[in-house]
Amino acid sequence: MELLLIGFLIGCAFGAILFLGGATSYRKILGTLLLKDMSIIKLMLTAIGVGSLGIYLLDLGGLANMSIKPTYLWGVVAGGGIFGIGWAISGYCPGTCLVGASEGKLDALFTLLGALFGAFVFAMAFPVLDAWLLQNANFGKITLEEVIGVSGIYLAIAFSMTLLFLAFFVLKDRYE
Amino acid sequence: MNDEPIISWKVAGIALGLLLTLATFLVKPLGVSTQFVVTDAVVTHQVAPTFAENNTYLSKYGEPSEWTVGYGWMLILGMMVGGGITAALLRNKQPLQDQGFMPAMWVMRFGSSRIKRLAAAFTGGTLLLFGARLAGGCTSGHMISGISQLAVSSFIFGLVTFAVAISVAKILYRKT
Repeated sequence: MELLLIGFLIGCAFGAILFLGGATSYRKILGTLLLKDMSIIKLMLTAIGVGSLGIYLLDLGGLANMSIKPTYLWGVVAGGGIFGIGWAISGYCPGTCLVGASEGKLDALFTLLGALFGAFVFAMAFPVLDAWLLQNANFGKITLEEVIGVSGIYLAIAFSMTLLFLAFFVLKDRYE
Repeated sequence: MNDEPIISWKVAGIALGLLLTLATFLVKPLGVSTQFVVTDAVVTHQVAPTFAENNTYLSKYGEPSEWTVGYGWMLILGMMVGGGITAALLRNKQPLQDQGFMPAMWVMRFGSSRIKRLAAAFTGGTLLLFGARLAGGCTSGHMISGISQLAVSSFIFGLVTFAVAISVAKILYRKT
């Protein structure tokens, strides 16, 4: 019961941040993908910069409940490509279409309905895709820590500093 | 005229990174797209239980123990409630261009047909979730949470997704 309440409250904060930060704005998302408006990419880099440092600091004390997704190469590449097309066409991702729909945006609601349909189509196609794309070239749940062979906290510090530097000092909007 | 989001990318990014760290400490990193399958599975279990049990993907989700009290599903419910309430309270602070479902740049490029915009939103949504389930996550689970954990699969997903989405956006908004 407590777990459900925690989920609900974290979700509330997540939804509020996405709305307040302009992540449900078609103008902002397409501005990002057209490489003109950098604010959404800077938001993401900052979140990952803070998050990677936070998670690996927790990990030092054995307090991070990590969840690493497996690297089944072809499925991740094909899925990322299909996801990218959907993102550019709709202007939403699965999280922002939920928030956009709750704002009362009809296009976000249609993206949400399309997403429910897409998940269903995937479930139908799963038996074929599983053998074809998900089982092959599966390298398991690997992180840079294992690939590079350096302790995660050092990588996280360097990575975090790089992302925050990019977000705060390098990337600039490019309106013509 | 104020056309910036209500909070800056700095505030939103830092808040999201801290929220991700908190979620990883309390339960697990943030994720959204799995819950679309859970929703489908729950509905299918009600409408056509035999069909749902026989589908290898749906049968993994939607058991009463998984959905009626699921943490992940409460998170997306929270996103809609938190996003919706914040939007209702601060509607007048949201930039005018980000209100409604017919973005000005869309209308300039594709005309003012509502059906066209909603069809694109639905199609985009379908591709989003098909791709996300194929790859194992979306913007939250793969890009924000996954890259923060330095997961190899998430770096690949992020690179492919951005490369494809930028290309598609450039094609959609090419100068004609």
